[in-house]
Amino acid sequence: MIIKAENIAKSFSKKVVLRDVSFEMKRGSMCGIVGENGSGKSTLLRIIVGEWKADRGKVAIDGKLGYCPQKTLLFSQLTVDEHFRYFSAAYGIEKDKLLSSCEELMNHFNFKKFRNEKIANLSGGTQQKLNLSIAMILQPDLLILDEPYNGFDWDTYLMFWDYTDKLREKGCAILIVTHLLSEKDRFDRIYKIENGYLR
Amino acid sequence: MSTYRIYTGLYMILRMLVRRRIALILIAVIPIVFLSIVELTTSEKVLPFRLASLKEEVFVNIVERGISLIFIAVASAGFLVSFLALNLIQKNSEVNRRLVICGYHPIELLISILLSLFLMISFIAIYVGFLTYAFFPINHLFEFIIGLMLIGFVYGCYGLAVGSVIKGELEGILLIVLLVNIDAGWLQNPLFYAGAQNQAIIKLLPAYFPSQTAIIAAFTDYSTTKASLFSLIYGSAFLLFSIIIFFFKMRIKK
Repeated sequence: MIIKAENIAKSFSKKVVLRDVSFEMKRGSMCGIVGENGSGKSTLLRIIVGEWKADRGKVAIDGKLGYCPQKTLLFSQLTVDEHFRYFSAAYGIEKDKLLSSCEELMNHFNFKKFRNEKIANLSGGTQQKLNLSIAMILQPDLLILDEPYNGFDWDTYLMFWDYTDKLREKGCAILIVTHLLSEKDRFDRIYKIENGYLR
Repeated sequence: MSTYRIYTGLYMILRMLVRRRIALILIAVIPIVFLSIVELTTSEKVLPFRLASLKEEVFVNIVERGISLIFIAVASAGFLVSFLALNLIQKNSEVNRRLVICGYHPIELLISILLSLFLMISFIAIYVGFLTYAFFPINHLFEFIIGLMLIGFVYGCYGLAVGSVIKGELEGILLIVLLVNIDAGWLQNPLFYAGAQNQAIIKLLPAYFPSQTAIIAAFTDYSTTKASLFSLIYGSAFLLFSIIIFFFKMRIKK
């Protein structure tokens, strides 16, 4: 198993958001988590990546983790290339691996021409491409994506699914959280969060 | 801890700062404008004033223009550093947290931020120091610049503390402007201080010791060691507070 979450529970004051949530994923698999706005999807992801602590339960991850948050978290005054360099320092990626990884991502998602542009000058869609690419430069074993195709045009949306296929072939497990799930046949399993339970 | 990560963080923070042209223009223009206004509006009247931080009763005779220039130089350096420090810690706090999730240690990020702050303080202090010297002959320029660095340290750390606690940019700027205005911009003025009631309250404010360092250096041959030391202690208290809040915000729970 690449990830095993057991009995996760989380409350904010008196509001119970997650109750006894358990799931697991195999290498190379793809799972979706759906639910209404405010159902606790992002809370679960934040617990999995370690941003928040669960009140109860535990998460075990066996491998490198890539995480794409729902909000595009980027430095408005830095360029695309500088983001790759900054985040590669965080991941501890060597320079030659970084170059090939970045080139591949920029070519695939067609934003190489913006590599020296400041984020403040990019469209929302291009920012989201970079937001997503940052999660993938590490070549992770587990990729966790929170609403990853927000702002994508149709071509980019297709490129996204194409890239997930490539990652799965390399053994990367992908967990996608979204309020609107299409392409259901691509998923090995789809969970639904309702009233704090994962079903 | 990785020196490469610290270097990368420092490099990126400085790049972001340099690309904010309006901020750079303000850094260059504000001291010139403030000093020029003082130069144009103050008189050549000679005033005796007592140096508050010295034990002995030391009175210095100095022209009103000179003391006003020194005072406004200290206030403008404090304001500029405080504003930049607020921006440094507040503006990208969510992205910094993402960096921590991706592998940066909060200490590495913090060292990058503090090194950037130190460079900003040094740059502003040297710039304002030499600019003030162009308006008025300062007795000990090096010690005066140290005084400006100390006001930068104290108010920079205050800016970090405000930026750590307050989320909104406008609210943060208001808190900075209010304190700088009443403290460095008014109460620490020796011309006001000499006749002020409850001087003990003024001594408790952040700009007191750095202002004293700058004034002693500018007009006398007395030692600035004591005032400098207390400035460092004062700034360190703000720094410690902001570090605790920074770590609390950047903590990752696994």
